[in-house]
Amino acid sequence: MKEVNIHVEHLTRVEGHGNIILNARNGKVEKVMWEVSEAPRLFEAFVRGKPYHQLARITSRICGICSIGHTLASLKATEAAMGIEISAQSQLLRRLAIHGENMQSHILHLGYLVSPDLFGVGSVIPLVKTHPDAVLSIVKLHRVANEYSDAICGRTTHPTNLVPGGLHKSPSPVKLRKCREMLLDSVDTANAVAELLLDNAGALPDFSRETEFIALTSEEEYALYDGLIGSTDAGTYPAEAYESVVNEFVVPHSTAKYCKNKRESFMVGALARFNLNHKHLSPMAAKWAERFGLKAVCHNPFMNNVAQLVEFVHSIEDSIAIIDRLLEDYKDEPRPRITPKAGRGIGIVDVPRGILFHDYTYDENGICVKANCVIPTNQNHNNIQHDFEAFAPTLLGRPEKEIELNLEMLVRAYDPCISCSTHFLKVEWKR
Amino acid sequence: MKIIIDDKEYACREGQKVLDVARAHDVDIPTLCFNPLNEAMRPAGCRLCLVEVLDGGRPGLQSSCSLPVSDGLKVSTKSRAVYDERREVTELLLSEHEQDCRNCPISGECAFSELCRDYDINGVSVCAECPNRKEGCLLSRGVLCIGPITYANCDAFCTRRGYPCEGCHSVMVNEDLLRFGLAAFAKADFHKEEILEAARIFSYEGVKVLDKVMKQEGFK
Ligand code: SF4
Ligand code: SF4
Ligand code: FES
Repeated sequence: MKEVNIHVEHLTRVEGHGNIILNARNGKVEKVMWEVSEAPRLFEAFVRGKPYHQLARITSRICGICSIGHTLASLKATEAAMGIEISAQSQLLRRLAIHGENMQSHILHLGYLVSPDLFGVGSVIPLVKTHPDAVLSIVKLHRVANEYSDAICGRTTHPTNLVPGGLHKSPSPVKLRKCREMLLDSVDTANAVAELLLDNAGALPDFSRETEFIALTSEEEYALYDGLIGSTDAGTYPAEAYESVVNEFVVPHSTAKYCKNKRESFMVGALARFNLNHKHLSPMAAKWAERFGLKAVCHNPFMNNVAQLVEFVHSIEDSIAIIDRLLEDYKDEPRPRITPKAGRGIGIVDVPRGILFHDYTYDENGICVKANCVIPTNQNHNNIQHDFEAFAPTLLGRPEKEIELNLEMLVRAYDPCISCSTHFLKVEWKR
Repeated sequence: MKIIIDDKEYACREGQKVLDVARAHDVDIPTLCFNPLNEAMRPAGCRLCLVEVLDGGRPGLQSSCSLPVSDGLKVSTKSRAVYDERREVTELLLSEHEQDCRNCPISGECAFSELCRDYDINGVSVCAECPNRKEGCLLSRGVLCIGPITYANCDAFCTRRGYPCEGCHSVMVNEDLLRFGLAAFAKADFHKEEILEAARIFSYEGVKVLDKVMKQEGFK
């Protein structure tokens, strides 16, 4: 049988630099590899020596997409380290912040990066001609998500309104009502986009490999902002156990660290959250999960796209419910005043791409002496590799272009944020 | 034939311009309208290549891209008059230019932003764009805003919304601008160290200058 040699350098429609390599001979895969070539980021070193109130500002810059999530994980770590309590109202407002970010990120991924695969085109640009209504709807949803995040967080990215102890200032009730209106108005658009994606969901490969899923989980809600570390294999862990859950290790072909827990790898992200928290989905979100045939525990990584869509709808519905709760008894809370303390704190939130850990140690003046951040995409690299090993052999009979597309789609399904730069497609064929 | 540029003699030929001789010997003279790919075209319009004629020609500032060589011509590329005039020209060009580019992290590929840096032409502070300047300044409300000492061009995005500026466009590196900005803190009750700490979040060079200016001003 013919030889297959695939080398996709700097895969497009993902964040950052990653390469795909596949060599096969006589119907056997000799080498299949997901290679991460991004330069190390060194944020943990940047923040050493910085005062506690600057940490979230700095670490939010780790990412341009999930900067709200980094801010929240960072604030939670700082608050845990110093024993700072935050008001019930601030907790709810922060939940809105994370919903806003989830919506921003998911629609960006599904609308601009994944939909071209579903419609069988190379990028979102040709879709403007063939599916103008769909593109306009996606842009509208993206705008809603941005304006919503801006209203709560003070900026659409790298938020300024979230500070240790709560919020810099509570968004006005007028603003909240406006958000509510905007979200309500986006429901039909979201349903229409979901309907369209459902019509084209057949393009998602039917591939499953049993793996472990890790996400925040809670008895009370679809956990994004708060909860315990949950695993589909091993129940729950307290925050303090995070290092023994992620078990970071280094591999030679990657500048990112790899992770594993109970099995050879695990997966984080929307699908992991769905698998662990599906009971708490809002009604409309649950309905969409059912219509897409998404059932827990789902082991098809391609269904992460569907889980994102389901979460998008959930974030709209849950946001509206939270805003209603807030408005029942809403106060203009003063800016929190904080006296720094020495200590170590771990902050965990589940951001669009999965569970995120920030772990800080402070001295008695509130100066950071040690920091550790474990980023979702890092936790997924190892799972992508193991998926490759299982998926590639099933593809070998097909034309090279198709094999390549399938592997690319697999990586994209994880919505990896390999760093914060996107590069253009360069595919290399070696024959 | 010889000409003297900055006290050094250079051999040259009839028909050459002073700029050509300077370029051939790596003497730095900034240009914008002169295009090295099309040397014949010399609109001599940007006036950045100014040199000062000291001897052997009509004294004063002349554009070197169009100034013909003549034996014994003596020019300076570094005199105070040259510096001041070039700076002024750059500033005038900038005033007609896309304002956003003032705070561009200079990539080394843009001759104009290089010029702005070389001639110490900087942007304005966030305060200049901030609507709170007239009323409701965060500083007067006890919030430490470093807008007075950081570069603008975000249209005071954060302060306009009521959040203090954290200097994501970095602290200014121009002493005069910093001195002017620091006056805003004089009325507010912030300690020198607090301001420096806030300034340090996204800046390095500017903080060094800031520290120096604060010392000069006796800031406490
Ligand atoms: S100090 Fe801040 S709030 Fe006050 S005018 Fe300047 S930028 Fe605006
Ligand atoms: S923090 Fe950045 S965006 Fe905000 S006001 Fe300051 S310079 Fe502008
Ligand atoms: S290069 Fe523009 S005037 Fe000489």
